[in-house]
Amino acid sequence: MNQSKLDRRQFLKGLGLGGAGVALAGCDLPSYVTLEQGEENVISYLAPNEYVIPGVGVWYASTCVGCSAGCGIHGRVREGRVLKLEGNPDSGVNMGRLCQMGQAALQHHFNPDRIANPMVRKNGALVEASWDEAIALINEKSKSGKAAWVTGTISGHQRVMAQTHLGAIGGSRHYAVEQINANVWKTACKDIINDPNPEIHLEKAKVIFSLGADFLGTFISPVHFAASYAEFRTPPRGTLIQAEPAMSLTGGNADHWVGIKPGSETALALGVANALMNNHGVAGNGISNATKTLINKHDPETVAGICAVPVGRIEKIAASLAANSPSLVLAGGSATGNANGYSAAAAALMLNQMLGNIGTTITAGRELAYPQLDLVEGNSANLKDLAIDANEGKIDVLFVSGANPLFLAPKSLKMLEGWNKVGFKVVLSSMLDETAEAADVVLPLASSLEDWGSHIPSYAKGTRNLALQQPLMEPVFPNTRGFGDVVLALAKDAGAPGLDDYDDYYGYLRSAISALKKTDSEKEWNGFLMAGQTQIPSLGRKLSYSDGKITPTMNDSDDGNLTLIASARMGMWDGRGANLPWLQESPDQISKVVWDSWAELHPKTAKSLGIKDGDYINIKSASGEVTTRAFIYKGIHPGAIAVPIGRGHSALGRYAKDNGVNPLSILNGASDSKTGEIATTATKVSVKSAGKNKQMAKLMEIDRQHGRKLVATISADKQRRTEGGA
Amino acid sequence: MVVVLVGAIIVIAAQILDQKLHYTSTDVVPGPIVPGTQYPDEAFTGIDVPQPIDFSHKIHAGDNEINCMFCHTYARRSKVSGIPPLSKCMGCHTVIATEKPEIQKLTAMWEKGESPQWNKVHDLPDFVHFTHQRHLKRFLFDNQELDVSDAKRVCSMCHGDIAEMTVAKKSRPLTMGFCIRCHEANEGPSDCTKCHK
Ligand code: SF4
Repeated sequence: MNQSKLDRRQFLKGLGLGGAGVALAGCDLPSYVTLEQGEENVISYLAPNEYVIPGVGVWYASTCVGCSAGCGIHGRVREGRVLKLEGNPDSGVNMGRLCQMGQAALQHHFNPDRIANPMVRKNGALVEASWDEAIALINEKSKSGKAAWVTGTISGHQRVMAQTHLGAIGGSRHYAVEQINANVWKTACKDIINDPNPEIHLEKAKVIFSLGADFLGTFISPVHFAASYAEFRTPPRGTLIQAEPAMSLTGGNADHWVGIKPGSETALALGVANALMNNHGVAGNGISNATKTLINKHDPETVAGICAVPVGRIEKIAASLAANSPSLVLAGGSATGNANGYSAAAAALMLNQMLGNIGTTITAGRELAYPQLDLVEGNSANLKDLAIDANEGKIDVLFVSGANPLFLAPKSLKMLEGWNKVGFKVVLSSMLDETAEAADVVLPLASSLEDWGSHIPSYAKGTRNLALQQPLMEPVFPNTRGFGDVVLALAKDAGAPGLDDYDDYYGYLRSAISALKKTDSEKEWNGFLMAGQTQIPSLGRKLSYSDGKITPTMNDSDDGNLTLIASARMGMWDGRGANLPWLQESPDQISKVVWDSWAELHPKTAKSLGIKDGDYINIKSASGEVTTRAFIYKGIHPGAIAVPIGRGHSALGRYAKDNGVNPLSILNGASDSKTGEIATTATKVSVKSAGKNKQMAKLMEIDRQHGRKLVATISADKQRRTEGGA
Repeated sequence: MVVVLVGAIIVIAAQILDQKLHYTSTDVVPGPIVPGTQYPDEAFTGIDVPQPIDFSHKIHAGDNEINCMFCHTYARRSKVSGIPPLSKCMGCHTVIATEKPEIQKLTAMWEKGESPQWNKVHDLPDFVHFTHQRHLKRFLFDNQELDVSDAKRVCSMCHGDIAEMTVAKKSRPLTMGFCIRCHEANEGPSDCTKCHK
């Protein structure tokens, strides 16, 4: 980056003198500088609608597509532009709240790096082309071999459309790729309690014991869970115990944060179960004898050795769970992100069974009566499959939208090699990300605030809704088209039956929803749009319990190296947020760093490696190396080093490109033995100083108060006594 | 350092020059008086801003005494007063004065479905939150001594005697000092955050 000649000190001096000048001149004089005459245009309306008042916003309902939670939004539209998003209070997902990524959707919409025109590859380079040319090329090539689709999590009528198109071009495989997901937890729930997506009642629990599940940041439906969490924390206040190797946002909020050795969460759960049975007389109804034997082998002393957690702490966790019923045990994030992740989820469900939580804080969810609309939930096992299938020559034609496999895949998967073996690749995207840059045809999509769609939120309590997405303004880039419109046109060209009646995706969506709701009244349709959602029929599920397979083996040796944790954060998410300056500028929830990556190291580890805060360090695995600055703090296990994912793009746009590093790229390719999820906490790395130091840009320089009582604190015990509760 | 100093001197000098060029004598009081208020008595000589259509405020608001809010209909409901939609112009001008060249220009635009690109005469910086609605409420609708039909007196407080102009020309300084003096005289709010949100 260019170093400006004006440094900070000079800038401040200049500001001081300039300020003095303005003060001398008083409040009357900047007219020359700031009060323009005749510089800007005002363009009147031709014949506006009655309710349009310039300067007064009108709010329209839609749905956030920032992640698969599917929060309802209200967008404030003024003079034809959408200016602000808020949560839709009527949405059962987010109840009027909205996370930072939802807020920042505006910056995706108005992003200067959006793709404005279709592009096709000619002589090795992507060049702008007309829609007709691009579509003709796609139609010519798309039936020329085995076709496949890659999407992120997809649901509603977009799913139907993509699969219809896939069928029409004779393709079979649909890879849904999502780096941040709860696949392991949901698979365990499906196998063990017979419901992949049970309702989780944080608010009913008195104690929550979470094995790495960052439910305030990245777990399933973070805005929804943040609201339940707030209820859980109102007096009588519940206690949160979080065990994870590197502190997450949820860990930062916990009463007891347990910095556990990476990959040992299953053992901790077994140790707690052991203490519950032996010290607190918990019978363990429904737990199989094989599992009981396993529990018996894991007394707190043994477990303390495996997890690097003191015996006393394990016993305290058990005592707290035994004394406060109902409780809730969750597993996600780092606990399920290793080669043995399924066991951690199975052990968490086993604890819930022992503690009688199944049926109280974990209850049955509801199944959609129209399964064809339900979510195809993305996961990283599909990412791996995609790389393997592409390398094996099983894909000739690939359509990609809503996923960035070339950024997400670790080098060890050889995704790029596989990609290059695919004969013809079409990417539908609004930004030129790593994947779009390597495509043969790029079709520019409308932003989420310009498009029609229907979505099934990834988590719902009670009734099930179809969340509706509608355009909040005219396209910013006029030559872009909606996802549904493009795929509908492609499907029609490919000869998919039953679509001839529809000129555009809006027409299709409207008639499909009218059929679903058995009404074609204009008034009711407008009602659905105003509400941003409509209820659809669902069937109740029933929970049961049968033990899952728990194998508490640690598959890594203590070879003196550190375990890399590629941690997930709300904000950058899986990298999709990196080109939005608001998200780059929001300090990380834990490190407070902005606009760059960092690597978390425990002070003890840093000392033994001779690394200081702000030192550039090389982090090297068997499959690659990244260099970033060290952030030294105590919220991490001494045997681990955590680098958050989402930065380190080589494309995507001016704010994302060449900013930070991507720890996913150096993962060793290990995956969860049951679900195939790519393990994000199982790669050994060696760390050494790169010999440079530069102060990091972060909001908070020190993490101590030095006795100044900047933030008043009282002990949890005292708080319980003064604010009521048990 | 030298650069910074020279820069500061240029800024101050430019501002003083600005005042010399644009302020007329402070005792000039253009425009009619609003009863029951302390009246801002400062004038400013704005530049001529050409417009795509030579619209005459004098014919409309002056000679024909059309209420300002008939066309600037948003002023009482919004922060901006708004330029009237073309449909409103055409409401009268499909029959009135159709032979005039400026009206024919307007009609041609209407038929093509294009709005004129007016040039903004009165512009405040983006960090100033001014609302017409609130000022009209205070000085017109809540003002027992002034009839609503006389709205133009209130408009003239900041815009000068528009009813005597053809296309508008800035005739008040609209600086922060101008705002503050009027707020003080009429007991308007003085919180920074009222205007700088
Ligand atoms: S949680 Fe997901 S869907 Fe909800 S506001 Fe955030 S990004 Fe949007």
